[in-house]
Amino acid sequence: MMRCAEVHQNLGPYVLGGLEPEEETEVRRHLAFCPSCREKLKEFEEVSQALKAAPPLADPPSYLKDEILSYVRAEERPSSSNNEELPSPRLPSLRASRESRSKKLRLLVASVAAAALVAVVALGTFFSLLTESPVATIQLTPIENEDYWGVAELYPQPSGNQQVELKLNNLDKPAPDSYYEAWFSSGEEYISAGSFTVTDSGHTDVVLTAPPQTQSYPTFLVTEQSVTGDTAPSTEVVLRGEVQ
Amino acid sequence: MGLAARSIIEGYKEVRSLRSVMSQRADELSDEQLMRGLAGPEVEAALSTLYDRYSRTVFGVGLKLLEGDRSSAEEVVQEVFLKVWRSSHTFDPSRGNFSTWLYRVTRSAALDLYRKRTSRIRPVPEGDSQIDAARDSSASPEEIVDESWLSWRISRALEGLGASQREVIELAYFQGLSQSEISQRTGIPLGTVKTRTSSAMKRLRQRLAGEDALKEDKK
Repeated sequence: MMRCAEVHQNLGPYVLGGLEPEEETEVRRHLAFCPSCREKLKEFEEVSQALKAAPPLADPPSYLKDEILSYVRAEERPSSSNNEELPSPRLPSLRASRESRSKKLRLLVASVAAAALVAVVALGTFFSLLTESPVATIQLTPIENEDYWGVAELYPQPSGNQQVELKLNNLDKPAPDSYYEAWFSSGEEYISAGSFTVTDSGHTDVVLTAPPQTQSYPTFLVTEQSVTGDTAPSTEVVLRGEVQ
Repeated sequence: MGLAARSIIEGYKEVRSLRSVMSQRADELSDEQLMRGLAGPEVEAALSTLYDRYSRTVFGVGLKLLEGDRSSAEEVVQEVFLKVWRSSHTFDPSRGNFSTWLYRVTRSAALDLYRKRTSRIRPVPEGDSQIDAARDSSASPEEIVDESWLSWRISRALEGLGASQREVIELAYFQGLSQSEISQRTGIPLGTVKTRTSSAMKRLRQRLAGEDALKEDKK
């Protein structure tokens, strides 16, 4: 009969089903009478269970790395600053021809939407001269490579609070059990301006109120927050802009 | 000297020292040091090393989330590493390690692609979760995300094994070879194959336990 040390050596192969039938029988026989080896077995079974979740062992094609680095090299050459302002690259080898039409359409829609935004901002500026003026306008751009964008206008209130009027475009509905939250930030300090959601892609207007302290905060963020998560700003930043 | 000025000088010294280290051995730097390197002149070396460390995991988890669609998984790899380069300033090591941050970037890129792909294939009634509707009704979005997190962790644990231990696990688990067959194929004595398999599994368990400590960081 196998001793414990010998069984330990075989437990890995045993849970992976790699032993010969007679070895497997011997290990099983030992386990039936040895509680300490049964305890050890549980540890191996946990790993075997975790391996079921392993993704397929596959390497991405070798050209992919070269394409990514070539793109970065080309974009870094003129300037290495302000990378987040760059448009989304679509490397040609990955562009499926069937998608090119829909991308062109998206580009057209985005161009029309951008023109519409310019018009809205221009009209807003014009009317603001006649009515109440925002103290600042913040252009909001996506942190990640996305096609949504927006504008935040800040209106001072007699109470000292700031009214924040958000005009958002193409922002998707948040993930299930999530919502959006607007923040003013200064260094590591964040003050929430309020939470909201959007019902569908397209245009969404939101009015929020932020406390007076936010007047000295230079950065404005929109994050996606989980209802079960922390109340601190999450790292899922969807929009960002600097107070002008 | 004012605090701000001292901080700028310290920052400059750090960048200069990082630049000198980067030019020597990028592959010896930690992920967090490489992320800082993305803001400097050695951006290519830093990104290349991060790619070598993580592209298999990103690709594998992309394949898993996108149901084996290789072309979409390649797109995920592309999106993720360009985001790493562009958004390196949003990575804050005090809020979690690089692997956890990269997992979130990968999950987000894969799910975005999944949603886009699903909406192209068939429209989903308004109000339903697109992911939920397109997948097996028994799998909720939370389950899909949890599964992908475990996939990420086990993939990272496998990548962290030495070459000889990884080889026996790949042959035993992924290719389904018996220990005798592995011994014959590799020319390694049977006893060594068995010991190596068990040691590799113990090592995987340790690495998974280490990752568990970070589990709370994933959200």
